[in-house]
Amino acid sequence: MASFRRVLLALTFILGIGGLSQDMTSSVFGADKLVVYSGRAERLIKPVLDEFQSKSGIQIELLSSGTTELVNRLQAEGDHTPADVFLTNDAGSLEHARELKLLRPMNMREVERAIPAQFRASDNSWIGLSGRFWIVVYNTHLVKPDQIKSLLDLAQPQWKDKIAIPNSGSEYLQAGVSVIKATFGEDRTKQFLQGLKTNAGSQVYQKSSQIVEAVAKGQVAVGIVNHYYIYRHLAAQPSAPIAALMPDQQEGGMGAIMNVSGIGVTRASKHVDNAKLLLEFLVAQAGQKLFADLDKEYPLHPDVKADPALVDRHAFRAALVPLARLAELREPTLTLIEQVGLR
Amino acid sequence: MNTATRFNAPSPLQWVSLVTAAALVLPTGYIMYLALTAAPAVWNRLWSTRIPELLWNTLSLATSVALTTLVLGVSLAWIMVRYEFPGRRLWEWAVVLPLAMPTYVLAYVYAHLLGMGGPTEQWWQAIMGSEAKLVSPHSFPGVTLIMALDTFPFVYLLARSALLNLNVSFEEVARACGVPPWSTLWRVTLPLIRPAIAAGLALVILYVVSDFGAVSLLRYQTLTYAVYQQMTGRYDQSAASILSLLLVVMAIIFLVTERWFRRRSRFYQTSGRFRTSTRRHEGILGTILITAYVLLVFGASFGIPAVMLVQWSIAAVAQGALDARFFGFIWNSSFLSALAAGGAVLIGLPLAYLASRRPSRLNLACLQAAYAGYALPGPVAALAVLVLFTHFVPALYGSVILLLVAYILHFIPVGLQSMEPALQQVTPNVEEVARTLGCTTRETLRRVTLPLIQSGCITAWVLMFLQTMKELPATLLLRPVGFDTLAIRVWQEASEEYYQLAAPSALLIVLLSVPALLLLVAKDWRGRDRGVIT
Repeated sequence: MASFRRVLLALTFILGIGGLSQDMTSSVFGADKLVVYSGRAERLIKPVLDEFQSKSGIQIELLSSGTTELVNRLQAEGDHTPADVFLTNDAGSLEHARELKLLRPMNMREVERAIPAQFRASDNSWIGLSGRFWIVVYNTHLVKPDQIKSLLDLAQPQWKDKIAIPNSGSEYLQAGVSVIKATFGEDRTKQFLQGLKTNAGSQVYQKSSQIVEAVAKGQVAVGIVNHYYIYRHLAAQPSAPIAALMPDQQEGGMGAIMNVSGIGVTRASKHVDNAKLLLEFLVAQAGQKLFADLDKEYPLHPDVKADPALVDRHAFRAALVPLARLAELREPTLTLIEQVGLR
Repeated sequence: MNTATRFNAPSPLQWVSLVTAAALVLPTGYIMYLALTAAPAVWNRLWSTRIPELLWNTLSLATSVALTTLVLGVSLAWIMVRYEFPGRRLWEWAVVLPLAMPTYVLAYVYAHLLGMGGPTEQWWQAIMGSEAKLVSPHSFPGVTLIMALDTFPFVYLLARSALLNLNVSFEEVARACGVPPWSTLWRVTLPLIRPAIAAGLALVILYVVSDFGAVSLLRYQTLTYAVYQQMTGRYDQSAASILSLLLVVMAIIFLVTERWFRRRSRFYQTSGRFRTSTRRHEGILGTILITAYVLLVFGASFGIPAVMLVQWSIAAVAQGALDARFFGFIWNSSFLSALAAGGAVLIGLPLAYLASRRPSRLNLACLQAAYAGYALPGPVAALAVLVLFTHFVPALYGSVILLLVAYILHFIPVGLQSMEPALQQVTPNVEEVARTLGCTTRETLRRVTLPLIQSGCITAWVLMFLQTMKELPATLLLRPVGFDTLAIRVWQEASEEYYQLAAPSALLIVLLSVPALLLLVAKDWRGRDRGVIT
């Protein structure tokens, strides 16, 4: 019975510590740490952060989660957030975070020199790091590339049960639909989404990697994904029967839908100097190359060349909707997506 | 005994239990409040778009899984109780093991096994020609099969004990009156064990409705999965709360049904001239058929997945998966689970104690309040805790405390189910004797009551520890920086189709769950069997 009491005591003790553990860890690691909230797949970001950690000696703590979920989290945590840096894959979410005053405007010459202005927030509270395009992946056994000119073609009845799409919570899909809506208007976008919904049926995926996988296996003929998932798959399995197709390149077409992954320093960060070091690391030529190549994305630094496996960046056009507008376009897009009833 | 003064001055214990009970219902209440006060536009949008589809998906899946488990569970129970075949005693236990496998583990193993280009398809195409297709694990039949393989032991366990407690004279009377054997089964035996089967099915349905792991990995849209998607895909939580409200209502309906059937099943306990049936020895062919069937169900539900996990784990370990990070995940899992289980025991004990020693309406209501967590699927528990804390104590957001509160809320019913009977078995006489021998109330509690209920509390702790260890959705949504657990790793690696890397964590979870499961079942086993003998 005495032992039972001791267990109870021990538990209360641990329980007390539980609440404190966060403060404890922060005081243990002290100044040389940086907490990163990342909305990217962990596998795509951890190697870069590991490299930074070993170069700078700054201890990185990484929380990988959904992008929107992390914006909600940053907002809920407010001034108490442990996060120093928010790293994610959608300019719309970064701009939204800026509007919520969660991010800190940065005045850094290195950044302004390295990254062109259209890929940054007006006050540099977020900075684009790499470009990605929302494009078509097709199975080379099942589809000829001239069958598809535009993303909007995929809503045609001949693609019934042949396409795979991401679920409606995916930020790429939301951003992509926003761009289509800004270009073609609400009615055509709605038609497009309805066609997409019918054609995809149950082939609605949580992750782009799964869509590419499904196309490679011939489960579906075509999918809409961020371009790098195609090249990642090809890097792992060079014989996979898949290829990338840049849509909407015809005369007067919309252009391929672009988004950036980017980074912002939180307003509440207590390690701004460390965060600056990370920013410098990521926008410098070496960092840009590392960050972009790891994910097979396009570096935004004009002097850094993309991975040679990718379609040459100068060989296609990007859609003209400014990145920062993605935030204001999002809410109406979400309503439209739900009206159509995409999963 | 002066009860009047006791009522006038509520003891500190009473206060504690009141406050905990209030704290435990608060999150659920707040979610309901949010849902009911959400803008009508949001309700409209959801009714006209998502809700009909989600309700249909959820209910049709629950029904089809229930039917499949009915067939599997009852047939296995029948075989184990009525037939004698080699290894029966071992098989009786073995078919319970699927309960040790979290749905997300089974789902991810099957996504690979039955998936496009997976081993089963290759084998199937080698026999049937290269165009042959299998049932996709992502389709309705696929999800049904996987969920049914994971949940049929609920039906099996209850049907088995009902069959063991069945007085065989009823059947003999029927047979003596010239009713053929099959007809006896339909008209006498099955109706007699119907309440037990119904209770088992209600559990299965509740499990399916609140499951997150399997449906998220298999991308099958149910209400629970939709709550998670709404939470992670939108800035505004009102849609998620509305879907949660529907889920809670649905879960409560099934819980009430289950309790009602359980209560009814007591009418069927027979007394007087009670005899159990004898086990039949079949011929060689019959024995082979029976063994093959049991082997098939066991292999599909536990054997093959376990072998896959072991193989993958070996490959992953060879790739260096057992690094410092992996041990960090083990530590996180154990740390969080130990805290949550410890907290839940401390919180649950006063509630259970008061309800059994002073069963006033108030105290019983407090205890019932603690069971609210049963009706909360993981994502809903997370949402409830999240909105409550963001609105009222934002400073704690992102700390371990949120996660612990969600765990305790979600799993305290599991603990109470072990602590309640433990307390009820201690007769108050013992305590009264201690008091007459001069012990104070506190001394009595410390020297008599607590030692007597010690093992009940330990069981409760172990059960809650393991449930927390396996928990996925709330952990995904609420974990602080650096608190990835084993369950999180399984889900993250599996959802990116890194099957091998997910395996060591999954295997560890299964290995830890098996002994606790057997412990739990053994308790039930002995109780029932003793009931049969007397």
